[in-house]
Amino acid sequence: MPRLPPSLFWRARKDISPFAPVLLPVCRDLTSTANELRWIREHVRDTPSPVPDQLRVWDLVEKRGKGVPLQYVLGNQPFGDLDIRCRPGVLIPRPETESYTLQLASLLARDRPPPSSLSILDLCTGTGCIPLLLLHALLRTLPRPVPITVRGVDICPHAVQLARENLRRARARLSSTAGDLEGACSVAFLQHDIFDPSLLRLLANPEEAITTTTTTAAAAATLPQPLNPGLDLLTINPPYISPRAFARSTARAVRNHEPRLALVPEPLAAAAAESSDSTLEPHDVFYARALAIADALRPKRMLMEVGGLDQALRVVRFFLRRRRRRPAEGLFKTVEVWRDEPAAGDRGERMAVEGTEVTVRGEGLGRAVYFSVF
Amino acid sequence: MLAAPWVCQRCVRSLGRIRVSQFIRRASTDSAPRTLPPALLERARRLTAEHDQLRAALENDFDPKKAKRAGELGRIAEALKQFEKAKTALGELQALLESDDAEMRELARDDLEATEAQLDESSRNLSVALTPKHPFADMPCLLEIRPGPGGTEGRFFADTLFKMYKLYCANKGYRTRVVQYEASDSDCQTGDEGEVALQEAVLEVQEPGAYGLFRGEAGMHRVQRVPATETKGRTHTSAVAVWVLPSFSENAGSSESEADWDNPESDFYIDPAEVRTETMRARGAGGQHVNKTESAIRLTHVPTGITVSMQDSRSQHRNRDMAWRLLRSRLAQQRREAREEQVRQLRNSVLATHQITRGDKIRTYQYQQDRCTDHRCGLDTHNLPDVLRGGETLDRVMESVRTWLVNKDIEAVLADEEAAAAAAAKQTK
Repeated sequence: MPRLPPSLFWRARKDISPFAPVLLPVCRDLTSTANELRWIREHVRDTPSPVPDQLRVWDLVEKRGKGVPLQYVLGNQPFGDLDIRCRPGVLIPRPETESYTLQLASLLARDRPPPSSLSILDLCTGTGCIPLLLLHALLRTLPRPVPITVRGVDICPHAVQLARENLRRARARLSSTAGDLEGACSVAFLQHDIFDPSLLRLLANPEEAITTTTTTAAAAATLPQPLNPGLDLLTINPPYISPRAFARSTARAVRNHEPRLALVPEPLAAAAAESSDSTLEPHDVFYARALAIADALRPKRMLMEVGGLDQALRVVRFFLRRRRRRPAEGLFKTVEVWRDEPAAGDRGERMAVEGTEVTVRGEGLGRAVYFSVF
Repeated sequence: MLAAPWVCQRCVRSLGRIRVSQFIRRASTDSAPRTLPPALLERARRLTAEHDQLRAALENDFDPKKAKRAGELGRIAEALKQFEKAKTALGELQALLESDDAEMRELARDDLEATEAQLDESSRNLSVALTPKHPFADMPCLLEIRPGPGGTEGRFFADTLFKMYKLYCANKGYRTRVVQYEASDSDCQTGDEGEVALQEAVLEVQEPGAYGLFRGEAGMHRVQRVPATETKGRTHTSAVAVWVLPSFSENAGSSESEADWDNPESDFYIDPAEVRTETMRARGAGGQHVNKTESAIRLTHVPTGITVSMQDSRSQHRNRDMAWRLLRSRLAQQRREAREEQVRQLRNSVLATHQITRGDKIRTYQYQQDRCTDHRCGLDTHNLPDVLRGGETLDRVMESVRTWLVNKDIEAVLADEEAAAAAAAKQTK
């Protein structure tokens, strides 16, 4: 990281505030320093406390100055129209995730004829941001209200707890806008290892899920029926950074403060067997597993977040080869690569993978692989 | 001479001084038409005839389109009826004035003034009714406040203005939302009343019809005062620009309204292909690799070169939404202005100095003299603190500007009618 000139610190103190030089080393430029300071002040103003405001601002600025991500410092991150709670130990929702989630919601809402019910499953759910935003956006944009079942799965108990907390907050927000409509929807978060073969059984039979996981009574009440049989959407934002890239190319705030479990796939014996295919690298294990789960659950659409165009093309190649080898299981007809901003539209970009033309949508870096049966 | 040999000078002066806390001087260059020109009257009669016809047609079968038109014309028909009534009353009074009976003449003279006033008012009402309503008048609005070039003094005053409008809305009970509020808050620098150095602020007034109310506020607001930063006591003059843009409620979408932005006919329509979006992109791989907080977004409308940048919220998604709304509003305003300009050039007769666009200085806030002057309607008020608190005095200023604007609109309609009549006369020749 290049050294910042001392003059910049002076300017920060003079033009912005005496707090600014503390933030400058992590923010790196004056505009974002001013913005972050403003957000910290707004946060302090909006959350009343007996401690004097100036003292709290100083406290938060100091914490942020030490490199803690702003989302952990303030404890939340806006995600679409939702406000997602963040705590150390659970991955912070990213703006790229927000973009493709909203795009998915608009795809589902545009389906003709309109669906009579929807079921969504999110693996490696973390804060629960993807399924909660999908639910929120769908309830607001669907032409008529339909029952929606949403399940999120994560291996980490902290994450599941946080996701449930976020669900409560989203529910409070939804009930003010959507009213009783929300009663027809069931949302639940389960703690489970997605490499465990018992996952599919658990999803099909929620009674067992209640007894085996530490579900609270409130969450148990939200599990009235098993996941709708025809799964409409499967999403997964798995750890996808290789140990080498984690050490070299991740930002310091990410490396030092966000959970490694959510970023770097751990080498697993079961996973290694599944991805013995030479097209995949060791850190692509979750995609092989997600495709195997898709074979069993047969979702109409599936979206997997990836860490760049290379990884996206590897996943696509793996999928195409697999479909050729076992045509009975590959039910997805189309496969697309989405960039950071998929809503920016189709600019006619195509890529040839394994002799198949693959559409690349949007602008930015390769961010997701999208499958659909249509 | 005075009986006392000597009186303190100061006492004499204080006796002479009259304390006036509330003083309003009307020195307007305003010229509201006293009598209704025949062209306008002709037009009113024509429209009333159409109204009666529509009413008759509606009694037989109901057609929502016709009903809407009839509702619009109802205003004019009503005003014309009032006008005719006042006119006949005046005619009768004048007949009475000629009568031989001295008592009757006396009575008629007493009534004459009141009736004339009534006629004046009804003729004004009729002209107002004939003036087409501003197409955005029923919409909520966005107030954009930006300091003019120059030092921190202008920025402080921009903050004062921002607070003034906010307080005014609070006093009036209008719902507002701060869309953008950017200030550089160096702690050593705040104004006399704790203002911060504002760089740009956007306030949304969510009341329907707010555009009609605040339309007259657009323009350069000038301030003359001794700034907090001034050490030698000199008066400075700075300017703050206020834009008033039509906004639309978030759930707008009915095809009838002006704000239907999916309709290419609408002023608010923007082809997404014409807009370039720039975001702060993190270097490197993005996604899980980085954790950026930069959520700034900049939209550029390529054909017109209008740019909007927004970095108020932590969510890029929200910034984008707000930026799009602002871009639509600005573009709609520009299109409207362009169209008005075109109409004005076609008319080519009245000097439309009342075209409020960005350049004109419209109001002065003079701190030493405790005065707020609107240069268009020529209204002087001497209760500046109340104006800046958004109190009744500001309401009065705004009201008089609105009246002035309506009068100018009437003039424009008149000029239009006269031009049309002249053209028709030429053709018959």
